[in-house]
Amino acid sequence: MKRLLRLIGVIFFLTSFVAVSASFAETIKIAVASPFTGPLASFGEGVKNGALLKAEEINSNGGINGKKIEIILGDELCDPKEAAAVATRFASDPEVAIVVGHLCSSATLAALPIYKEAGLPAITPASTNPEIGKSSPYYFRNVYKDDFQGDFLANYAEKVRKFKKIAIFYEVNDYAMGLKEAFVRQAKNIGLRVIGAESYMAETTDFKAQLTKFKMMRPDAIFIPGYAPQATLLISQARSLGMKCAFFGADGLDDEIMLKNPDADGLFVTTPFLVDRGGAMVKEFVARYRNKFSIEPNWFAANTYDAVGLAAAAIAAVGNDREKIRAYLAGISSPEKAFKGITGATYFDVNGDCLKAAFVKLIKNGQWVSAEEQLQ
Amino acid sequence: MHLDDRLFSDKKLYLPLLAAVLLLPWVPMGLAGPYVLRVATLTLVYMVLALGLNVVPGFTGLLDLGYVGFFGLGAYTAGLLTVHYQWSIWLVLPLAVMNGVFWGVLRGAPTLRLGDDYFAIVTFGFSELIILVIRNELWLTRGPMGVPGIARPDFCGAVLDQPWQAYYLILFFLLLVLWVVVRIRSSRLGRAWFAIREDEIAAECVGVNVANYKIIAFALSAAIGALAGAFYARWFRFVHPDMFKFWESILILCLIVFGGMGSISGALLGAFILIPLTEVLRIVLPDSLSNARYLLFGLLIVCMMRWRPAGLLPVEKE
Amino acid sequence: MLTAIFEQSSLFLQQLVNGITLGSIYALIAVGYTMVYGVIQLINFAHGEIYMLGAFLGFSLLSGFFGFGLPFGLAVAVSVVVCALAGVLLDIVAYRPLRRAPRLAALITAIGMSIFLQNLALLIWGGQIQSFPQHTIPPFLGEPALLLGDVVVSWLQVVILTTAIFLMLALHLIVHYSRIGRAMRAIAQDKTAASLMGVDVDRVVSYTFALGSGLGGAAGILVGLYYNAVYPTMGYFAGIKAFAAAVLGGIGSIPGAILGGGILGLAEVFGGGYISSSYSNGIAYAVMILVILVKPTGLFGRQQRDKA
Repeated sequence: MKRLLRLIGVIFFLTSFVAVSASFAETIKIAVASPFTGPLASFGEGVKNGALLKAEEINSNGGINGKKIEIILGDELCDPKEAAAVATRFASDPEVAIVVGHLCSSATLAALPIYKEAGLPAITPASTNPEIGKSSPYYFRNVYKDDFQGDFLANYAEKVRKFKKIAIFYEVNDYAMGLKEAFVRQAKNIGLRVIGAESYMAETTDFKAQLTKFKMMRPDAIFIPGYAPQATLLISQARSLGMKCAFFGADGLDDEIMLKNPDADGLFVTTPFLVDRGGAMVKEFVARYRNKFSIEPNWFAANTYDAVGLAAAAIAAVGNDREKIRAYLAGISSPEKAFKGITGATYFDVNGDCLKAAFVKLIKNGQWVSAEEQLQ
Repeated sequence: MHLDDRLFSDKKLYLPLLAAVLLLPWVPMGLAGPYVLRVATLTLVYMVLALGLNVVPGFTGLLDLGYVGFFGLGAYTAGLLTVHYQWSIWLVLPLAVMNGVFWGVLRGAPTLRLGDDYFAIVTFGFSELIILVIRNELWLTRGPMGVPGIARPDFCGAVLDQPWQAYYLILFFLLLVLWVVVRIRSSRLGRAWFAIREDEIAAECVGVNVANYKIIAFALSAAIGALAGAFYARWFRFVHPDMFKFWESILILCLIVFGGMGSISGALLGAFILIPLTEVLRIVLPDSLSNARYLLFGLLIVCMMRWRPAGLLPVEKE
Repeated sequence: MLTAIFEQSSLFLQQLVNGITLGSIYALIAVGYTMVYGVIQLINFAHGEIYMLGAFLGFSLLSGFFGFGLPFGLAVAVSVVVCALAGVLLDIVAYRPLRRAPRLAALITAIGMSIFLQNLALLIWGGQIQSFPQHTIPPFLGEPALLLGDVVVSWLQVVILTTAIFLMLALHLIVHYSRIGRAMRAIAQDKTAASLMGVDVDRVVSYTFALGSGLGGAAGILVGLYYNAVYPTMGYFAGIKAFAAAVLGGIGSIPGAILGGGILGLAEVFGGGYISSSYSNGIAYAVMILVILVKPTGLFGRQQRDKA
């Protein structure tokens, strides 16, 4: 019995020690949460690199008001339960002034009540679920919402690519289903025919049954709202069934792994960021990024880079008081006051959502290139 | 006397333990307080789950590989009722428990004749089907969109919005569940379960109504799982199908394997050590190894079965 | 009208081809479950992970992940052999010490090993989907072998089917006409009696694991090539489906596993193609539960002995 009580004491001690020791230093912390390991690690890597690059840049220019920024990372594997635990850890560290994250909408929604309770402002560079902005005054995002992207793709498919018949193959998750709904609604408005919709689960590897069905319907193109790991399999299987139609998707397909698949040539996607568009700031970012990490920056990196920049601007203006930072961010409410970053101008509406431009890029000979005709 | 029998009768045992858990929210931990309290609350949730799972494999000797199904069922029942009707937790929770019992009995009834490994497979398949339905039936559950904005627990009309209040609430549920399982353990019902665990055929021969007693065990286990789920939904304030993966069933199983299958104090100890440990490991391990936590759990199960199959606090006194 | 009928029938034919390919893969994995169960009455949950290991080894040896690359045929052979050895090792390390323990202990150990191996792969290879580099695969595999109107059969599908049939025939010969096969069948019937008659039970169990795991590893590589995707959790779902196939055919019965695999593959493809695609995993679970509840012995299974 005594042994048991001693064990209990030791564990109490250890937990409180670890928790308390995390909280004394002379820096300003910006917490970054994302999946850094697991199946979505390549997206998370962009988030991490973007954040680290921006922090390094700020620190080499003397930090914010003489204080250095420290990026602390929280790996939540895109899992709601893990996200809540990571969020609580951030919220209880008084030096964390603001959070940049999370990536998956389900993780963001799980962390949201915790930040709201702790009065900790957060900017998500990647979660596009429309619920987020409405649910908390502390949540901001510098990425567009699903419905905008869905509308945009429908317009692009009809006006620029002149498609008539579209089949949709979507993943069963909040991101993809939001996109699909917006696309279908807009397609109806502009007279683009959606001839079939099929769904798949994240763990699906065999898409042939549904593709075979599509093949008989002879669509001009297949729209894939979902993520790259499944989409690359899906496209290869369609080609092996002898399907010749075009494929397109949204920013979830904007991933390096698509380039390894020769069948994906011609695939086009929407993205919030193009490496070869934009001014000197973009060129410098891309050059520094390539130099430091020896890979191409993806849009997660670009959006996170801007989100950290936005956070730093807020801290520089009002200090590291969480409430004041929130008020400062909420005050960026018109194009005149917008934060100018590499992904364009960011300003928030009453919900903390923003309007951002979307671009189209496609795969040509195993490389991403910007589409010649963009839709404004 | 076994530790489990002393839980509610030995003052020297329960008074210090009760004092420690009651005082925890008031231990000054500075700003780390909310985090420690959250981990403590989570630990209590898993203690309830471990006690609930323990009823089936621990008391009746049948391996349940789908306990997360009842956890999820309870969480979704409570979450959806709260979001749609804004009912009090004291109304939603009993409904969630009843729903759990309903499905527990429905799952249990056809499996009465099955041997141990087939029973394990059916429980596994059944819970995966529950989660698959939750994921796909959007009209009911919003599927992968999850259910955000679930109200906090309440008490006599007041909202329990302080972390320590939620902690005391789950502590209350834990003590309630603990009281029930400790009482049942030493009752006629408990002895019947142990008889079934030791030898089903022999139990049947001496007049134990095996089918009835098994059904009661399934119902009780499901009820406790759903209760934990209902609290969890109101506390977490968001439910999503990803929160109820197969891995959770394994984690809960791991808790009771570690503590000692069939042992009530073992289930509590298992949760008490392993749940805070996952948090400590998250902080101690570098980011690239954060997945290694699951690896350790797998290894732990294998090693326990090999060298200490009865767990840390075995049912039989050595 | 005529074109509609034509389209429907070619849709059906294409689904049939897809379903048979999928079914032959499930059958290859299912055989591993069923053989081990027949001999030591253990549901080897970690079998799906051996299959995953096969896929990863094939990928690593071809792509030079370990710092060297092997030619295609050699890489496949090495992977299969390593998987067979891994299966034997798994038995010796994890299951053999528990032979006399309650069955529950072995079952829980199997689950633990499955979690362990899956996360070990995650640590070694990372969680992302890996694909075979283009130049390492014989190019003809991607070409269509047969074009019949709209129906396409790729060489890869032909290779998968023929490999599966070949391996199954080999297995049949081993189990029925070799000494070790006879010993396996003897142990499956009555372990105690077999050991009294001088059968070295441990050795035979090791051979069983080697054979089952080798087939599982082969299935892993074939699937890795078929979908061109290798990832740590691939064994989980494939394992469940193959297990469902084994149950459907009657666990312990090798022809049952083959038939069960085929039926499940077809059910999944036609269910996914004609009913609802989001429930295609559910078909495996439902089949598994229904068979266990209605006819636990499956299509070919023997009567289960009472718990002794």
